[in-house]
Amino acid sequence: MEISIAAEKLFSIGNFPVTNTFMIGVIVSVFIMIATSKLRKLETIPRGFQNAVETIFEALFNLVESVTQNKEQARRFFPLIATIFIFVLLSNWIELLPGLGTVGILHGEAGHVTIIPFLRSTSADINFTLALSLITVISVQVAGIAALGFAKYGKKFIVSPFHKPYVIGTFVGILELVSEIGKTISFTFRLFGNVFAGEVLLTVMLHLVPLFLPLPFLFLEVFVGLIQAIVFSMLALVFLKTATLPVEH
Amino acid sequence: MEILEKLGIDWKLLLAQAVNFIVLFFVLRRYAYKPMLDFLEKRSERIEQGIKDAEAAKGKLSEMEVKEKEVLSAARNEARDIVAAAEESAKRRDAERFAETESRVKSALEDAERKIAEEKRRIMDEAKSEIASLVSLSVEKVLQEKINATADKKIIIEQ
Repeated sequence: MEISIAAEKLFSIGNFPVTNTFMIGVIVSVFIMIATSKLRKLETIPRGFQNAVETIFEALFNLVESVTQNKEQARRFFPLIATIFIFVLLSNWIELLPGLGTVGILHGEAGHVTIIPFLRSTSADINFTLALSLITVISVQVAGIAALGFAKYGKKFIVSPFHKPYVIGTFVGILELVSEIGKTISFTFRLFGNVFAGEVLLTVMLHLVPLFLPLPFLFLEVFVGLIQAIVFSMLALVFLKTATLPVEH
Repeated sequence: MEILEKLGIDWKLLLAQAVNFIVLFFVLRRYAYKPMLDFLEKRSERIEQGIKDAEAAKGKLSEMEVKEKEVLSAARNEARDIVAAAEESAKRRDAERFAETESRVKSALEDAERKIAEEKRRIMDEAKSEIASLVSLSVEKVLQEKINATADKKIIIEQ
């Protein structure tokens, strides 16, 4: 058993290293897309899969609407929030499947052989969480500029020191700018840390006592995966909303 | 930059993950969110419309009930009026007819009385003339026959 913070490379395509997390990410994406194709024909009286999807969509949309207080804005933000939620949720829950840290390809020389597992949650890869954070934070800036205009949005960060709160306003602006970078970093490490820690925990428990002992931790990870997905998407939503609000000072 | 390496940050993988997510985002937006939200909105609109329709129908129904009551009471009043008018006219006609009959009976009676009187007079006249002729005839007979003196005397005395 070897724990590495970086995702393990399974194989390379040309110059591109294909890691287990990337592969899982692609598999989850394809799985979601296949599930989507089942929604081709929508029936007025929902049944089965459509019913489940409708329930989730409606709950999520109502949540988004309650935060934005604006139906049009809710419709604009919903796709990003929902995609983050669904994708992060499923990739978090991947670690619950059997095979975590045990099924993989052997790696290393004789005497020191380690397993490179196939199964590793996409969220347990800094590359993914950083990419998602960057996408989110960039979307927040774009939403702010689209709602307020470039000049007005820029005034949130660059404040003239010769007006009412004088130098304080300028400093607050700089702090706002730094907090945008802080958002990215906290997004990245919150999700990564939680999921990666969960995976390590599960792997360690599995290696200590394979029977029964991992069970409570599996339940715990179900919650952690759900909560992290909710936290990420809700924070993204709140940031999107606050970016579209006009400057107060 | 060593820390990035230690954390496993690789710009190629970063980009690949971002592209993967963005592709998923656009596919879902095109094929899942938009149709689904449109569908849900349309359905909730339909349900709202249905509720509104039902409420409107209810309102109309109660309105109709009120109107129905009004119409019914109006009709009842009218019927009562008509019946009363009919009764009155029937009474009036009865009275008229009675009066007419009475007058006709009276006139018929008068007629009959007149006729009877006339007849009486005519009969009397006839009787009178007959009696007269009879008397004259008998007188003649008596006069023509040879009356004895006593008989003559008797007649003369009697006369």
